[in-house]
Amino acid sequence: MKELSLNILDITENSVKAGAALTSILVDEEGNTLKLTIEDNGSGMSEEVLKGVTDPFYTTRTTRKVGMGLPLLKLAAEQTGGYMTVQSKTREADPEDHGTKVEALFYQDSIDFTPLGDVVSTICTLIQGHPDTDFYFRHKIRKPDKDVLVEMDTRQIREVLDGVPLNEYEVIKWIEEYLNEQYTGPHDTE
Amino acid sequence: MKVSDLLNNGFLEITLPDGDREIDGVYIGDLLSWVMGRASQDNAWITIMSNINVIAVATLADTACVILAEDVDLPEDVKAQAEIKDINVLKSPLPIYETAVRLHELLS
Repeated sequence: MKELSLNILDITENSVKAGAALTSILVDEEGNTLKLTIEDNGSGMSEEVLKGVTDPFYTTRTTRKVGMGLPLLKLAAEQTGGYMTVQSKTREADPEDHGTKVEALFYQDSIDFTPLGDVVSTICTLIQGHPDTDFYFRHKIRKPDKDVLVEMDTRQIREVLDGVPLNEYEVIKWIEEYLNEQYTGPHDTE
Repeated sequence: MKVSDLLNNGFLEITLPDGDREIDGVYIGDLLSWVMGRASQDNAWITIMSNINVIAVATLADTACVILAEDVDLPEDVKAQAEIKDINVLKSPLPIYETAVRLHELLS
């Protein structure tokens, strides 16, 4: 993928399909690394399934022979000298604490590093497509020339909205502006 | 033109489980997710990538063969997977552009 945000979209869709009520998307940029963590409380995967997830010929979909989301994320991370790990616990194994955690580390100074891209659009697309599940997004940048913290939690937004669906156009627009403002600082409006 | 016909024309066999397959057109690309959505069925796909995901993308896009340019080799485990999945893989000592030009001459 030309942007990591497209990988994020792909992996998070898996979380939603696994029945996750909450999916957290964490991006941590520090020094010369970018760490991406996608963690959900969905149904989780058995050890056997887990072993196969980075094999491109493994898939949970019946319509195609290979599932490429995790193999491509792993490749993108490894191309920069980084890594990807996947941990998972099934609901059967632990009814109180189940789900999947994908962690990928990228070295941003590698020539093969894929830029993060438009992560705000990705978050908005996810909320629009899945208004009934919750997403927590946090992007931290700790660099000598840049110190940014962007945060969004649909559970909080949902509380304020008091029944208005999250995929209403005005709501999505507001979330988009809310995120963009945290990146750039507030703008004066007329 | 069949994939196996390339062998006497400057291309070397890595594995050819389905050599009788006809080639229709050429696609070039190294960003696998991009190639996955754009390479057409029966294309000869030229790339310098050689990991296991290449075989998966060739399976999904149903290309006629993968051609590794610049004398890139296929790791043994990837070659084994290509054989299992009936994916033809050849290689060319030429850079990508010259490989494509050579294919163009042969296909037209």
